[in-house]
Amino acid sequence: MSRAAPPSPSAPRRRRRIALAWGAVTFLALAALSTGPGISRDEAVAIDAAERAAAFWSDLPAHPLAELGRLDRALGGAHPPAPLGPALAAATHAAAARAGLPHRIGFRLATALAGALLSALLALLAHDLAGDGGALLAPALYWLAPRQLQLGAVATPDTLATAFWLATAMAYRRSGETPRARERVGYGLLAGLAFGGALAARLDSWVLLPALAVHAGLLRRAHRRPPSSGPARARGVPPAIGAMLVLGPLVLAALWPWLWAHPLRRLAAAATPPQAAWDYLGARLSGTRPPLLYPLAVTALSAPAALLLAWSGGLAHAAARLVWPASGERAEPADDALLLAGAAAPLVAAAAGLAPLLGGIRPWLPAFPFLAVAGARAVATAARSAWPARSGALGLVLSAALLWPGAWQVARCWPEAAASWGELAGGAPGAASLGMQRQDGGEGAAALLAELDARARPGARVLFVGPAASALRVEASDGRLRPDLALAVDPAGADLAVVALDGGSRDAEYQVWAAFRSDRPVAGAFLDEVPLAFVYARAGAWR
Amino acid sequence: MGSDRKTPGTGTTSDLIRRAATHPFRASRDHLRAARRLARDSWQRRPPARRAVAILFALAGVAAGVTSTAWQSSLRARLPSPLDWDALRALLERDARPGDALVPAPAWAERVRLLAPPAAPVASYEGGTAEDLPGVRRVWLAALPALPRFSWGTELGLLARSSGSEPTLALGALEVTRFQLAAPQLPMAFLPDLLGQAEVKLGDQPCLPEQEGVLRCADGGEVARSVREVGGRPRPCLVVHPDAAAGAPLALTFRGVPLGRAFHGHAGVAGDPGATAPVRLSVHVDDEEAGEVELASPGWQAFDVDTARFAGHARDVTLVLTSAARPGPLCLDAVTVP
Repeated sequence: MSRAAPPSPSAPRRRRRIALAWGAVTFLALAALSTGPGISRDEAVAIDAAERAAAFWSDLPAHPLAELGRLDRALGGAHPPAPLGPALAAATHAAAARAGLPHRIGFRLATALAGALLSALLALLAHDLAGDGGALLAPALYWLAPRQLQLGAVATPDTLATAFWLATAMAYRRSGETPRARERVGYGLLAGLAFGGALAARLDSWVLLPALAVHAGLLRRAHRRPPSSGPARARGVPPAIGAMLVLGPLVLAALWPWLWAHPLRRLAAAATPPQAAWDYLGARLSGTRPPLLYPLAVTALSAPAALLLAWSGGLAHAAARLVWPASGERAEPADDALLLAGAAAPLVAAAAGLAPLLGGIRPWLPAFPFLAVAGARAVATAARSAWPARSGALGLVLSAALLWPGAWQVARCWPEAAASWGELAGGAPGAASLGMQRQDGGEGAAALLAELDARARPGARVLFVGPAASALRVEASDGRLRPDLALAVDPAGADLAVVALDGGSRDAEYQVWAAFRSDRPVAGAFLDEVPLAFVYARAGAWR
Repeated sequence: MGSDRKTPGTGTTSDLIRRAATHPFRASRDHLRAARRLARDSWQRRPPARRAVAILFALAGVAAGVTSTAWQSSLRARLPSPLDWDALRALLERDARPGDALVPAPAWAERVRLLAPPAAPVASYEGGTAEDLPGVRRVWLAALPALPRFSWGTELGLLARSSGSEPTLALGALEVTRFQLAAPQLPMAFLPDLLGQAEVKLGDQPCLPEQEGVLRCADGGEVARSVREVGGRPRPCLVVHPDAAAGAPLALTFRGVPLGRAFHGHAGVAGDPGATAPVRLSVHVDDEEAGEVELASPGWQAFDVDTARFAGHARDVTLVLTSAARPGPLCLDAVTVP
């Protein structure tokens, strides 16, 4: 193992404390931030599934036969989302409802919990690789990018899947490094269970299995060549890989009774969700494999430049350690290769079209914990090497310099973080000129609800173009949509129209112009002058 | 008395001139030597490669942080303030007149829609010289030139098709320029506006008015005045369904249309669905076929029919659409130009 420094006796306690502190801070921050963002169409799908799952599980004890009879409708559908995210969202929603919290926050608390787990895991892994400094820095390097933070504050299952990805990789790592056979098997089983959790959160998590299998194979080959300097490795399939292979599908099947009938056919249907179209450099991507550089380009354009530098520095550092092991350190390539494989697998899967084409960085979100840990280790190493006598102070200055722009960007753009872009894109205005996506899917309309509440004529019929119906239902039940306002189904029957501009087709908006005989909105929501939503009104409907 | 060449100030005049001339070179040479010595010493005392890389990474990290912070703080200053927008509103309300249009640059900067007065509606225009601006004599360009990735394409396009422009007026972060179009397209008639008096038939069956701007045909066909997206832009047009009864011609007759030298129009499948089935459009003036076009490519396809022989008269114009397949709702506009 390549640790930052010989561990002191108090190191394990400090490691746990840092991880716990990060977990607690992350949960509180995400819970507080979850009040902000509007509900995108993808999040609405997760909320729909959570509501159906909640109804199923709550009615099951009372009417078991009847409920099992409608299992398909409750937990399935044509392309149902994986079950774990909706189930946890339903659980936190039920708990939050008892505490009197708004429905929107209730559904999102599950993600806040997943975010807390992710932060704690990040701190633990970074502590192993880069000491206290790394443990303090790595979660910040993950969360202070607006897109990651936004995905931690909404009810989509991406942060949950990302936490399970990291948990799987960490258990696999511990299984591989421990010399005791029993521990190896124990951590292997843990890796299998975590992998099952990742699959149950997002089906495209299967990519992790081949990535770790390749890692294990390469490691074994590396140990076969010279007189081995690392710990002795067992022959055959590593226990963690074997457990992932067996336990992963079992956990998924156990958590998803819908799969029990026609498992392969249903799995195939669930793994190919209907894909929305996304704007990318002025072109529409829809249902096809994205360009090869799509994940890298979107990451580079959306993340703060300073974080990009830290992440890419971390990758370069890991690659350099593989090629030129530092003198005095053991030539143990496992961790460096694991960081590289963990970061590369989701990016490659997204570029190859193996992951569904979702909004923003969602398809390859699991790459970022590995980038954050690698970046934290690179920063800690750079501070130690550049100025050994003042490594603490230099590390602090460097960390502040790398994190501050992201923190500022988050503060400026929240709650429209899904619409924000980094310096390389030229911010939201530059990205709009480049023809990039404006928002994930209709969530920008939420910024106009307060104004609609204040100025819509009593009893007005409102047409929403962009937001999903279940998103509006949740907003209405939270009191953000006036109860006297009726929902219209087409422009002809509407007095007001709230139109979200996500960069895609605006045909529906233009039909509102025709019906209202006006292309002049009465209100708008903007991020750095980029329009996110407009309100149109017939004469007399807007006070 | 002999001169001592080693002692300054004791040489001959030519010596002095030569030394004066070579002095700067000698000084430069000395500096160069010193720099080389310094570089050699520095190189010999250079940090190990790993430390050098670490120093460079740390410097790059601090530089990136400072640069990013400076960039983000400058972005806010590059955006127009509410006062700037209010100034634009006041300017347009005072000076805009019928026949004007407002064009934002970049095209996505649609906050201008909130403040455009009725006299200067926002035109969808991105700078191409072939893009139509029907009925527009003057264009107000509201540009936000300090924005990242701003392009001057729209302004250059307007310059190319204008006979003159007023000096640019700076309203904070906004720059407003008024262009006088050199050859404005001033239609004699815009057919979608004449739908109220039109007779529409699907095959032999007449289509009947259902509500204002909508005619309903048998077999579910419909003709409506609307605004649809074609070619990525809003297009005020007639939306017709030539596929309502496959093969049956859909005929739209407009009575007493003033004709000029040409009949100029566009068509495309509403909503930009991509590939589409071909549609045949024939234009009849009274009972005579004046021209026909095959609309097969996706996007906003232009067509022209020569009507010079009918110029100066008001005639009945009939558009006949036929399609063997189902191309989807067709967005169709047409003007008669003098």
